[in-house]
Amino acid sequence: MYKPLLALLVVLLSMQAVFAQEKLTISGYVKDAKNGEALLGATVFVASLGEGVSTNDYGFYSLTLPKGTYELSFSYISYLEEKRQVKLDQANVKLDLEMKESTLTLETVTVSSERVDENVRSIEMSVNKVDMRTIQKMPALLGEVDVIRSIQFLPGVTTVGEGATGFNVRGGNIDQNLVLLDEAPVFNSSHLFGFFSVFNPDAVKDVKLIKGGIPAEYGGRLSSILDVRMKEGNSKKFSATGGIGTIFSRLAIETPIIKDKGSFIVAGRRSYIDVLAKPFLNGDLKGSRFYFYDLTAKANYRINDKNTVFLSGYFGRDVFGADFGFDWGNTTASARWNHVFSDKLFLNTTAFFSNYDYRLQSDLKEPNPQDAFRWNSNIKTYSVKPDFTYYVNSRNKVSFGGQMIYYTFQPGKAEAISGGETRTIGQDSKYAIESALYISNEQKVGKKLTLQYGLRYSLYDYIGPGKGYTYGPQTGERREPTSTTTYQKGDRIAQYGNWEPRFSANLGLGESSSLKLSYNRMAQYLHLLSNTAAASPLDVWTPTSNNIKPQLSDQIALGIFKNLNDNLFETSLEVYYKSLQNQVDYIPNSDLLLNPQLEGDLLYGGGRAYGAEFFIKKTKGKLNGWVSYTLSRTERQVEGLNNGDWFPSRFDKTHVLNVVGIYDVSQRLSFSVNFTYGTGTPATYPTSKFVWQGFALPHNFYDERNGYRIPDYHRVDLAATLKQKKKIFGKGEGEWVFSIYNVYNRRNAFSVYVRQNEDNPSQTEAVRYSVFGSIIPAVTYNFKF
Amino acid sequence: MKRIHWIYFFLILGLGSACTDVIEIETEASETQLVIDAWVTDESKAQTIKLSLTQPYFDQGNIVPAIGATVIVFSEDSIPYPFVDLKNDGNYVWQPKIAGEKILTVGKQYALYVKYGEEEYFSISKVNRVPPIDSVNYFQQKYPVSPPDDLRQEGYQADFYARDFAGEGDCYWVRAYRNDTLFNKPEQITIAYDGGFSPGGAADGLLFIIPIRAAASPDLYAANDKMKIELFSIPQEAFFFLQLVRTASTNGGIFATVPSNIPTNIQNLDQNNPKKVLGFFAVSAVSSLETVIDGRKAIPKPSGR
Repeated sequence: MYKPLLALLVVLLSMQAVFAQEKLTISGYVKDAKNGEALLGATVFVASLGEGVSTNDYGFYSLTLPKGTYELSFSYISYLEEKRQVKLDQANVKLDLEMKESTLTLETVTVSSERVDENVRSIEMSVNKVDMRTIQKMPALLGEVDVIRSIQFLPGVTTVGEGATGFNVRGGNIDQNLVLLDEAPVFNSSHLFGFFSVFNPDAVKDVKLIKGGIPAEYGGRLSSILDVRMKEGNSKKFSATGGIGTIFSRLAIETPIIKDKGSFIVAGRRSYIDVLAKPFLNGDLKGSRFYFYDLTAKANYRINDKNTVFLSGYFGRDVFGADFGFDWGNTTASARWNHVFSDKLFLNTTAFFSNYDYRLQSDLKEPNPQDAFRWNSNIKTYSVKPDFTYYVNSRNKVSFGGQMIYYTFQPGKAEAISGGETRTIGQDSKYAIESALYISNEQKVGKKLTLQYGLRYSLYDYIGPGKGYTYGPQTGERREPTSTTTYQKGDRIAQYGNWEPRFSANLGLGESSSLKLSYNRMAQYLHLLSNTAAASPLDVWTPTSNNIKPQLSDQIALGIFKNLNDNLFETSLEVYYKSLQNQVDYIPNSDLLLNPQLEGDLLYGGGRAYGAEFFIKKTKGKLNGWVSYTLSRTERQVEGLNNGDWFPSRFDKTHVLNVVGIYDVSQRLSFSVNFTYGTGTPATYPTSKFVWQGFALPHNFYDERNGYRIPDYHRVDLAATLKQKKKIFGKGEGEWVFSIYNVYNRRNAFSVYVRQNEDNPSQTEAVRYSVFGSIIPAVTYNFKF
Repeated sequence: MKRIHWIYFFLILGLGSACTDVIEIETEASETQLVIDAWVTDESKAQTIKLSLTQPYFDQGNIVPAIGATVIVFSEDSIPYPFVDLKNDGNYVWQPKIAGEKILTVGKQYALYVKYGEEEYFSISKVNRVPPIDSVNYFQQKYPVSPPDDLRQEGYQADFYARDFAGEGDCYWVRAYRNDTLFNKPEQITIAYDGGFSPGGAADGLLFIIPIRAAASPDLYAANDKMKIELFSIPQEAFFFLQLVRTASTNGGIFATVPSNIPTNIQNLDQNNPKKVLGFFAVSAVSSLETVIDGRKAIPKPSGR
């Protein structure tokens, strides 16, 4: 089945022979002069030829040119441009370069920006990169800088509501985002049920959200890739950063292992309110545990010019409870090896392990042999993923590789003890293997056109030991299995394969504008089963099975990109249409936890999403930031729900307007503001009430879903950052961040629901539920040595 | 118990800034439908079936009774038990004519027949077995923080003990009374599937698990309070119906589920007639236990409660 891919590979590789004529290659790494961090996506450009290349995710570049002497210019946003004369006459040239950050961004000093129009020139569309320095300046809830909350200000990204875990991209569910931390997937990206994301901002280097035109190297989720890259650690000198906020205390340490050869970073955060509360806890609350923490660590070592290794790990946990306890968390570990085979062929191999698990237990303080309940659930993944980049020539860049993932699921097992008798409930463990091969080429055609075309083939095996259930046709009600088959270890229960074509094109329109088009098909074999408004930590990732089919999406997007005023403003307008297949939905009253026959409670349907996204960003100057506006619709159609008609999905918002502004008053003082406005999310209300056994119950005569909307959402946040004048211990820097969330104290609705009046059951009322019903000020102190 | 602990943690975390308030919304109007509230027990006492009409959800007027209907419960041996609306208020009542007379016998099926206007409706339900309540016990409880919704912070917390029958699929509704007043808030509906909370068979034949035992006290009791626990056997479809009733009435917050209509088990006799009713018909065998709270009989507080 992989044959067409191999054939394509052969064709692309043989292109070198065709084009090979007296050409030589310049290659190397581009790094930050201050701390040795690799610069991702820096541009290497040869003005005389009008050709160039960007550094990859590890800072590597390779450029093959005819013999001659060239001036190469290296540029990267908010770094000073570097120029180098290179003579290509005898042999390939190796050129590593360190670039200096421009500290004078406040002034109108020319950070020469010939190639800072990367957003216009690159093949990427529907991609948003947010600089960590911007994220750190944006006003944050409770002063806690948060990657996931920040990306919610980007066009095309919504959420079901404040405090909800995850995010929705262009009409996709939260499980359709592949959240990668150093290439290992993170299954639950939230602390505290969704209030904070698991990424420690002190350890994050780069955040990239890919919403469309998804390259062939990525797969496994339908809607987006959130690629979070951790810092490598300062390879020049020891440094420490940290802070004390309202929720977390943070500390990160970076240091060289051997100067300029290797370094590591360790960063930790812990909530500390429990420590403060301890003296006030007595009686039953003594011994209560409520905290969350995460630890991020990474080491890298450059063995020689050709080999670099990276090890990264993440460990985070939320712990709540006294006797009755609940804790959950993610663990990821990834090892990567960068190998430069030749000046043209770059390999990164990643091996990772990722685990998400939770546990609930009723007898934490002391085991109770008479009456107890102990429940645990986990998903573990093991994967190997080689990715090759072959810099054929200055006009063709071929990427190829593959991935194999082994999953083990323990969807939920519980031990229930009553009156000394023990019973085990829940689901059997499940196993699956997902593998994929891909190849793609990025090709420059003429002066104006760049194409990226690729193909990915994914193959999924659902394997034993396990049980396969058969169910009758979908009716909208619970289905009991009609037959059950037991499979032995290694038996195949179900298999699915999917071709996933990917295509992007960039047509240059004059100096600083371009037209981009992309199409991608994605397949997804994992499903987060969640029937609540916001996903909860209890929700279970479930494999595709003989009943649950792989989710598929096709997305087409078209965009115009234009930079104004010498790239001072980046603007874009994109329109997209996305069609979704095999979307999971739920019967009323579905039982998704500890239920072996949960597939009988699932419904399957289709989805569609379309919209337009406007984005304008001011990239530099005293005042910078962006405005984004999204007009969109996202709908589902599921047999058995809403009379089989299309209905808006839970996170559909017609209009979303986001404004992020940062104003640097001086080197010491800066202000920032966020504004967000969104149409109210859909809701289902009853038409009539009926009284039964004294309960006033709601009923929708038309059996409609999501026919109403809750009130619109809008909010302003402010922050001020003041750097201390005095150096700490003579060399360190300190800063105070004052922030106010929800400045005008709006009681935004998370949901509006109906209920009977507590005191008078025959009376009924609508209730607005707000997660944050008030203005929330916070102060944070950060330091850096 | 579990729920209360959770609330404490959120208060302490200072994220208690979440809030609710009552607002006005407008919703569509619709046709009026007949509502049948028919829960018949095997007790020898007056049994009532209530008929009413739906009204717009936010109409706060009195419930409109459905009068002039014919209401009969038939046993599987075709014995009719007519229910009569004596006061013309939609309450259709059957009275035992002699002491000890009752409609239901465990193991038998019963049919409900209702004729309202031109329409005829029916439903069938079976009386399942119910185990006796073996005992209750109680201990002194004092919560560190005052619980919400006017619940008591201090008093006696009670458990009842009963054992599910061996054999999967027995369902129960646990009802508690304090001084003859039924705890009847929607969130106080406690239903059991075998000895546990949900289908799956694992709790079959068990002593009811702790959270179900604790349904004896949705709120705390004071000394000398009268406590009565009732255990209703219910058909499986009634279990799922009550689950939906509870969900529909307590469905707020960030982990709310999508509201859905509560299905009925009462059908139009003419299958092609689109006129539908709301409500439910179920029959139950009942076991109960009554006691007066006596501080001297309280047991020591169990660990973890």
